[in-house]
Amino acid sequence: MAYRSLKQEEIGILVSQGCFADQWSDISVTDDFSSNTIRNTRFEGKIKLGISSGTVEAAKGILKKCGIFNSHIQHCEISDRVHISEVKNLSNYIVEENVVIENVGSLVVTEESTFGNGIEIEVLNEGGGRELPIFNKLSSQVAYLMVLYRHDKDFTHKLLDMIRDYAETKRSGMGRIESGARINDTLIIRNVNVGPYAKISGACLLEVGSVNSCKEAPAIIGEGVIAKKFIVLSGSSVDSGAMIDRTFVGQGVKMGKQYSAENTLFFANCEAFHGEACSLFAGPYTVTHHKSTLMIASLFSFFNGGSGTNQSNHMYKLGPVHQGILERGSKTGSFAYLLLPCIVGAYTVVMGKHYSNFDTADFPFSYITEEKGKSELTPAMNIFTVGTRRDSEKWPTRDKRKDPDKLDLIHFDLFNPYIVGKIVNGINILNELAEKTPRTQDYVNYRNINIHRLLLKTSRKYYEMALKVYIGQEITRRMDGITSNASMVEIRKNFKTADKEGTGKWVDICGLFAPASKIDELINDVKSCTIKSIAELNEKLTGIYNNYEKYAWVWCADLIGRQIGSELDKITVESLIQIISDWKTNAVKLNNMILKDGEKEFDAGSKLGFGIDGDTHTRDMDFQAVRGVYEENRFVLGLKKETGAIEEKADRYIAFLEKLG
Amino acid sequence: MQIEEVKTRVKKVTAEVLEMNVSEIADNANFVTDLGATSLQSIRLVAGFEEEFNIEMDEDKSLQVQTVSEAVTFINTYL
Repeated sequence: MAYRSLKQEEIGILVSQGCFADQWSDISVTDDFSSNTIRNTRFEGKIKLGISSGTVEAAKGILKKCGIFNSHIQHCEISDRVHISEVKNLSNYIVEENVVIENVGSLVVTEESTFGNGIEIEVLNEGGGRELPIFNKLSSQVAYLMVLYRHDKDFTHKLLDMIRDYAETKRSGMGRIESGARINDTLIIRNVNVGPYAKISGACLLEVGSVNSCKEAPAIIGEGVIAKKFIVLSGSSVDSGAMIDRTFVGQGVKMGKQYSAENTLFFANCEAFHGEACSLFAGPYTVTHHKSTLMIASLFSFFNGGSGTNQSNHMYKLGPVHQGILERGSKTGSFAYLLLPCIVGAYTVVMGKHYSNFDTADFPFSYITEEKGKSELTPAMNIFTVGTRRDSEKWPTRDKRKDPDKLDLIHFDLFNPYIVGKIVNGINILNELAEKTPRTQDYVNYRNINIHRLLLKTSRKYYEMALKVYIGQEITRRMDGITSNASMVEIRKNFKTADKEGTGKWVDICGLFAPASKIDELINDVKSCTIKSIAELNEKLTGIYNNYEKYAWVWCADLIGRQIGSELDKITVESLIQIISDWKTNAVKLNNMILKDGEKEFDAGSKLGFGIDGDTHTRDMDFQAVRGVYEENRFVLGLKKETGAIEEKADRYIAFLEKLG
Repeated sequence: MQIEEVKTRVKKVTAEVLEMNVSEIADNANFVTDLGATSLQSIRLVAGFEEEFNIEMDEDKSLQVQTVSEAVTFINTYL
């Protein structure tokens, strides 16, 4: 864009309109510049001004005249179609077009800054040792690898270099208010970049950070917010008195109602209200809504925190150095307490207070309860609860991210090689424990938690049920689309795997399910400098993410092969019929157990408090009006429909296969 | 096995799991509404019955049993 100096008559108009400049010669303007819409404004330092005619929409239906009014502008570049009014100090900013800035105390860049990029936060371990520099393109996967793979110093050092290289690209003595941004009624914004279409309204203090945003997914910073050393990503809202310090807020996050967080990461679709976080690593879909809930020094994902949830990371010895891992899908009941360090397995419900440092990672879908002051594990109990099924269905529908560039890679499958691998392992452990525990012993202790001896075989049965459901669903998926005259040869072709990529151990990299071998490959690529930048790293991770179905089937085929004693592409008709029959039996059984669990929400106990001034009939009618009837409940109807579909499909495939046999 | 013996042993297991006296367990007592069994205790009851009678019960159907007498009838089908 070409700029020119102000004409004398333009200066004359500006002066007559109450404007002042240290040096008018320091101000350059575009060719079509008009001085008519600049009033009562003081200019200092080098200034560039664009066209200030016309209007810009400040909020829906509210148009503002383009121009600069009653403000102090120092060393800025201001583009076309901008409205700036009542800004006491706007210094060292590039203001792009279509921006509105109104009633702001200070919007300044005071020194060269990377605007939050590269700021180190002490996440997960409050005493340090897992520092992570936050940056604009941080994904949950990169964070997980950087924070948790400290055993590989070469890898983490190279990753740190990449992050610092990225952060340096953001270094500037000029901040940027990008196109479409709206900033109003805010006290202080200092050394902060504001992205396209971001909205900042009523904030108290934003200092050293970036509000990243885009038209499809504006970021919102609202009333009363205090944010220091932070990054907020697109589609997120931080408002209503939230206070954050050294905190990363990922995409689609909602935070507010006086929530306070320090040294904390929140990834995609987290929600945080009322409570407190310190050195928290909140993976995708971590939700905490309640007052008196502290989340500290732990990794969570797909988590829901009951009110009053608490953890301790001190043991009054060497400081706040303890950390916790709660695998995906876990939840805590009201006032649940965990003494760190501990590991809670995936999809586990924690109720009560727990003072032993246990590890239940081998037993997904469990309940951890407090029995007479001791921690007790009921493995597999959470497989057939309504909560687990509803949660697994709701998460993909609640992905609030509208940004076309979604940073966090998220897989949602409830049964997948990572979880099913745990189930297979859990079955083996339960078998071993059952074999060696005498009947005279009521409890067996496993990694510092008690399991009732009676439950060893029962829990194993529930895991085996889940295993048959998984295997059957994967097999029948690969039979979908076979023609009515297909032969066994053609069916076996559907089961064939191209290679062996996907066998072995799987990991959950904060939302991304991956074969451990592929992560090892990625790590080696970083160490060998084959991957040299964050962009290349994210590309590699995306490749792993996109190949999930392929890798998962290789893993599943290998599992089935070991179970039937031959390669899956040599499976017999009889074995295939057995797998489908087992799937039907167990999937229907599982759904029935979930429905039974759901019935509790409609039993007499659930109706307490209804029909307050009436009799039993009134109670029932009141309950029905508020909660509906079980038979018409949407979840119940959906599950019954699914059961019907499973039965139909299984019967159809078995009949077909029996003809082939 | 006689049905009375089944009933006696069902009540014995119930008393152990729910930590109550056998005398407090009526024949038609509902495990949840009368005896206060939680979901976790219901699982333990199933496991207890399986071990007591050396049977393996259908997971789905066993959780549908609501009373002591239904449990007796249900278990008897496996004996």
